[in-house]
Amino acid sequence: MRFRLCAGLSLALFAAAATRPHYGGTLRVEVREAVESADPPQTGPGMADLNGAFAITRWEAGRRAVFQAEENAPGGRPFVDSVDVQMGAPLRERVIDLGRADVVEFAPGELRQAPAGQRMWSSSPVKLIALVFGPKVEDARVREALALAVDRGAIHRVLLQGQGEIAGGLLPQWISGYAFLFPTTTDMARAKSLVAAVPPAARAFTLAADDRTMADRIAVNAHDAGLTVTVVTGNADVRLVRARILSSDGPTALAGLAATLGLPEPARVDSPETLYAAERALLDGFHVIPLAHTPDLYAVGLRVHGGPGITPLGEWRFENVWVEERGR
Amino acid sequence: MTFRTRLLLLFTISIVAVVAIVEALVLAQTRRAFERSEGQRAEALVAQFRKEFDRRREEIAQDVKRLADSDAALNIAMAPDPERWVNDAASLASAHGLELLELVSGDGTIISSAEWPARFLYKEDWLTPTDTAVLRREELPTGMTLALSAVREVTAGERRLYVIGGQQLDEKLLSTVVLPKGMRVLLWRDLGGNDLPGLGPLIERVKATKAEQTATIGSGAAAETFHALPLTGYDGSLMAALLVGSSRRDLVELEASQRTVGIAAAGLGIMLGVGLGWWATARVTRPVRQLAESAGKVAAGNWGATVETESADEIGQLARAFNRMTGELMDQRERLVQAERVAAWRELARRLAHELKNPLFPLQITVENMQRARERYPEQFDEVFREGTETLLAELSKLKQIIGRFSDFAKMPAPSMQSVSVNELVGETVRLFAPQLEQARIRAALEIDPNVPPIQADSEQLTRALRNLVLNAIDAMPDGGTLTLRTTALENGARLEVIDTGQGLTPEECERLFTPYYTTKTHGTGLGLAIVQSVISDHKGRISVESAPGKGTAFRIELG
Repeated sequence: MRFRLCAGLSLALFAAAATRPHYGGTLRVEVREAVESADPPQTGPGMADLNGAFAITRWEAGRRAVFQAEENAPGGRPFVDSVDVQMGAPLRERVIDLGRADVVEFAPGELRQAPAGQRMWSSSPVKLIALVFGPKVEDARVREALALAVDRGAIHRVLLQGQGEIAGGLLPQWISGYAFLFPTTTDMARAKSLVAAVPPAARAFTLAADDRTMADRIAVNAHDAGLTVTVVTGNADVRLVRARILSSDGPTALAGLAATLGLPEPARVDSPETLYAAERALLDGFHVIPLAHTPDLYAVGLRVHGGPGITPLGEWRFENVWVEERGR
Repeated sequence: MTFRTRLLLLFTISIVAVVAIVEALVLAQTRRAFERSEGQRAEALVAQFRKEFDRRREEIAQDVKRLADSDAALNIAMAPDPERWVNDAASLASAHGLELLELVSGDGTIISSAEWPARFLYKEDWLTPTDTAVLRREELPTGMTLALSAVREVTAGERRLYVIGGQQLDEKLLSTVVLPKGMRVLLWRDLGGNDLPGLGPLIERVKATKAEQTATIGSGAAAETFHALPLTGYDGSLMAALLVGSSRRDLVELEASQRTVGIAAAGLGIMLGVGLGWWATARVTRPVRQLAESAGKVAAGNWGATVETESADEIGQLARAFNRMTGELMDQRERLVQAERVAAWRELARRLAHELKNPLFPLQITVENMQRARERYPEQFDEVFREGTETLLAELSKLKQIIGRFSDFAKMPAPSMQSVSVNELVGETVRLFAPQLEQARIRAALEIDPNVPPIQADSEQLTRALRNLVLNAIDAMPDGGTLTLRTTALENGARLEVIDTGQGLTPEECERLFTPYYTTKTHGTGLGLAIVQSVISDHKGRISVESAPGKGTAFRIELG
């Protein structure tokens, strides 16, 4: 009984010390992407967001970047002394390193590998996963058939582990407010009837994707509709792309997505209705088939406090977090 | 075809037939023995395959059971979020030695698929737990395949998980079958478009009967006998067939070898048979040939021909009978000749008596008149004597003439051949007989072929023959008529025709016309036409007569 009291008191004191902000320490971060450029990235979410509060001190392209806290940062000196970013580590290492690293990026599909009850930072759905057709797939019926055949629900539930949301439009619901208006359900019967009207030679095309499993699933759905989709690497008739939304402003986000996906520049908009019409116009012809919007996901270690370390758009705000010193 | 050739042919055909029958029997026996042996080997292979097949089924069932009993399967069954396990089937399949593995939730939704990972959340319609692996079709990204699969159910409270594991049924299974030389095994799988060349009809039969079938595919040394073992699926439908092929090359080569030996033996046999047949048929047919030759001689007029015979068989009996027959023919001819000779003498006597009686009677009357005149009328005796002696001389002259004709016939000399113009001969004869013809009111018609060549003949005898025919024609036309003499050139000689328009002859008269001393006239010796035939015969010619009552008569003489 006495032992229990002492132990409980010491745990309470430890928790109070851990939650109190303090300076010092290194925030160790592991990201999926290996940036191979000669210099650190200057734009976009991620390491570029550290500029201002941190200064790059070490750059090993594709492997590692070390940022030191700026003493004279506009918002004040960050709590941590440095941020050590490891790039391109495989999933297995990232899972193992969860015990050592403080912040580890996960893709939605990788979440099943994360320990149960893992603390996570999650952005809003800011990445659009979509199929983008090249000029070789000329027949709009083929593109529409594929749009109707793809089981977005299965992809979202299994491959994306329920993260983010199913997408029928380019902009996510949290930005546009009308995303639910775009159809996302499969209609295999209509897809088959569309394919049946297409010459056999036009029913086959290639698909390239960085996510082989998702590409295979799309190929299976296409097969059910009567299309023959061959998953390849490199150039293909259709590409499975991920496009990041860089702004929470609807028109700006739509224009950014259109530019990324190779779509025409949307019309100038000044209201939700015109935004909807512009987005609808971009999707006419099924040159792009939105599948899902996914968030940025980071597993966060127990040493990390404060935050959140990312914004709804997935921007890093590591100057707001502090870490416990090892051994405390 | 001679009897000997026919016999020889029969010999040869018999030998060839016997050799062919023996060859066919040997080939048939060889084929039966080979097929029996081949069937036994195929049965052994099928038994080997069955054993391996059953063992594989049991192994798969055990592997699936172990997986279903594992903690991993239990965890997945208990998990509320099955989508977490989407990639686990592959690793579990690998760990349990399974090629195919599907983890299916209680509602039939695929949680994870090792063979087709992208098929998560699809429905699986076959969830019947089995104690052993069964055949079923399985769809893979690369197409349909056949698999030996087993189903196990894992229960965790109210949650259920189906574990469907198996192995593909493909040629790898056949690699365990130890194949004797000349045999192979194929696996036909009912996957559509998986046709094995040439085996379509056999597979169709297996499909129709679902029972083991046997068929020979191809021909010659490339032929194979296939035993098909049907493999049915869990629903009893035919899904595959094991095809045990046994090459018939050895049989074909053995048969070819036997055929070669047979042909050589047949050739030797035929040669030997022909030799022996030649010798045997010579022995058999020699008396027959002699018989035939002798029969030919008999037909040619040599009735005395005989056959030498020493054998006591049927041919010997036939030869002896032939000899007896020719002997009897000779005897009969001798008797006939004797009879004809007697008849001829009788005819000669009758004719002589007839011919001599006519002049003798006036002689007798004349002499009696002369005697009576001397006794009763001496004064008239001189007159009677003068008249009597004239009569006597006339009648004696007639007698002399008759005797001369008989003498001529008896003493017909051999012809003295020289070149004779038949046309000239005919012309002279007509000119000679012109007064007589005119007196008899007969018109002479000459139809002379100027191309008739001279022939070798005795002019005098030929003239006599022609005159006899003309005289005969004049006698045949007492009331006048037309006598036609026609000559025609032949390839090697000439034809002479003497045609009258008299009363003609009956067929019987025609037959006897050339018989000596035969005549249809009230006068004459009956030697005229006999002399004509004798002359023509001596000239190696031919004479024929054509006549009918009321139509006249035509004599044709052909001379070379």
